[in-house]
Amino acid sequence: MAILLSFDIDGTLELGDPPGGVTIDMVRKAIDLGFIVGSCSDRPLSSQRRMWASLDIEPDFVASKHQLGLVRAQFDDADAYYHMGDRDTDESAAKENDFGFWWHTEAELEPWLELVNSD
Amino acid sequence: MARAIHWERNEDPVGIWEHRGKVVLAGAGHSKNTDRRWDGVSMDRTLGAYVVEAARAAMDDAGISPEDVDGIVTSAGGQPAHMSLGSQWGPLRPFFDAPYDSEDGLTYVTAEWIQKQMNLPNVQYMNSHGETVWNLIGLAAQVVGDGRCEVCLVPYPNGNIEGRYHQNPSLEARGGAQWSNPWGWGLSGQGFVFDQYARKYGTNHERMAPFVVQEHANGLLWPYSYYAQHEPGPFTTEDYLNGRWIARDLSIFDCDRPVQAGACYIVTTAERAKDMKQQPVYILDHTESAFTPRSLVQTLDDTESWTDIQAKRSYAGSGLRPEDIDVFAPYDGFAVFTQYFLEAFGWRGVKRGEAHDFCADDITLKGPNPINSGGGNMGTGRMRTVFITDPMEQLQGRAGDRQVDIKAEVAVTIGVLPSNAAALAFSTSPD
Repeated sequence: MAILLSFDIDGTLELGDPPGGVTIDMVRKAIDLGFIVGSCSDRPLSSQRRMWASLDIEPDFVASKHQLGLVRAQFDDADAYYHMGDRDTDESAAKENDFGFWWHTEAELEPWLELVNSD
Repeated sequence: MARAIHWERNEDPVGIWEHRGKVVLAGAGHSKNTDRRWDGVSMDRTLGAYVVEAARAAMDDAGISPEDVDGIVTSAGGQPAHMSLGSQWGPLRPFFDAPYDSEDGLTYVTAEWIQKQMNLPNVQYMNSHGETVWNLIGLAAQVVGDGRCEVCLVPYPNGNIEGRYHQNPSLEARGGAQWSNPWGWGLSGQGFVFDQYARKYGTNHERMAPFVVQEHANGLLWPYSYYAQHEPGPFTTEDYLNGRWIARDLSIFDCDRPVQAGACYIVTTAERAKDMKQQPVYILDHTESAFTPRSLVQTLDDTESWTDIQAKRSYAGSGLRPEDIDVFAPYDGFAVFTQYFLEAFGWRGVKRGEAHDFCADDITLKGPNPINSGGGNMGTGRMRTVFITDPMEQLQGRAGDRQVDIKAEVAVTIGVLPSNAAALAFSTSPD
């Protein structure tokens, strides 16, 4: 089962500004478990790429927050799509593009692990 | 029609400023850090602490002591009427229990607060109504020129407590706003004016990219830039073109990022500056203007009419001509502002509708047309002070890696809005 996880950065990831509660270890773990992982943020694309490079992580995608639809089109064979973030703009983007959505506080609990366990 | 407000030079014909070349910028200082927000805990990183840090840096820059300062002119919140640049709302208020529940030093910084915190013993004139930084410098120049004080500390606080852009929690809209705000008309107004511009002159939003990208590049060379400190990588055309629309045609990368920082300038007389450390930058003029739309919302016609008046007034007040201006720094708090100012002032011969062609040519620092060599707000964050500090340093020849290759003897800067702005003219010479 291919599941796509889209992470907002600021307010969501631990190295965001402000820091969020989703740790990079959680992200690495998701990658190791086979999730399709990338970022979807209002940060410039180049800034997102630099962030991932600094972590020595090669994301499956980077996109601007309003481009979730493009991400979905790029991975149109995935079975499920989730975005997580801390703003209403995150929630709106997820709804508009038929992504599941987790608030940043929910994402801190790694809800995607349950998807794996229930598979 | 322009609103007449006290000391401002906003009624035509303004005439040559009576203190032209007799008042100078003698020093500049900035807080070492430019933050996204206050953490709510660190008292050495409050807005007040940053203003004090900047004031000390400005005094060091000018080579003066606390005893030399006899005036403080500030803009308490960085905006008109003590409004703060950052959010004014939030669940955290008050921060402290009474009697320490004052916002002074946190969301705004008054002259009285600064005088007390810095223990400046000889201050005889204080004013906290400087509004935006251009108006602030204009007010300070007028105050010094009029003899109300001689060595004036001019701090400019840039507060952003919560790290958010403008939030409007109001549940009501009054006056003309009752016809626009309920429909979401706010920042979208700037997109509307830009759209009119693009239609009139056959251009589009993508053609803003060269300007914004260059501003980011310039800003990375300014040590107090938020981006230089926190996001030092290059900003690209791809980045700009993929920005989320805030309101069509205004993307997130046309909007400046609010930050928390402090800056301060020393304004004094040309005579007194002879004993100070830096080469003085002579203030040739300040002019102000404020307008209201002819209809419910601002249009391109309004915008071009207002900026034409501003440019004409500035030239009349300083005695300069477009070809006299070497360094030009028009505000970009929304990036789409700059073209209106540029075309109105006719810098480098740019006429209405030509700004995008101009910016598509060589606007690099080492080229012939280095507009906004400091990087503007797009390249530094919403401090606005780069519009004073960079022209000042360019004229003093101490802009470091940002130093332009062209002659830098006369500078003009203008901001904040096409509807409400002040223009300042600087020179290396009093004449």
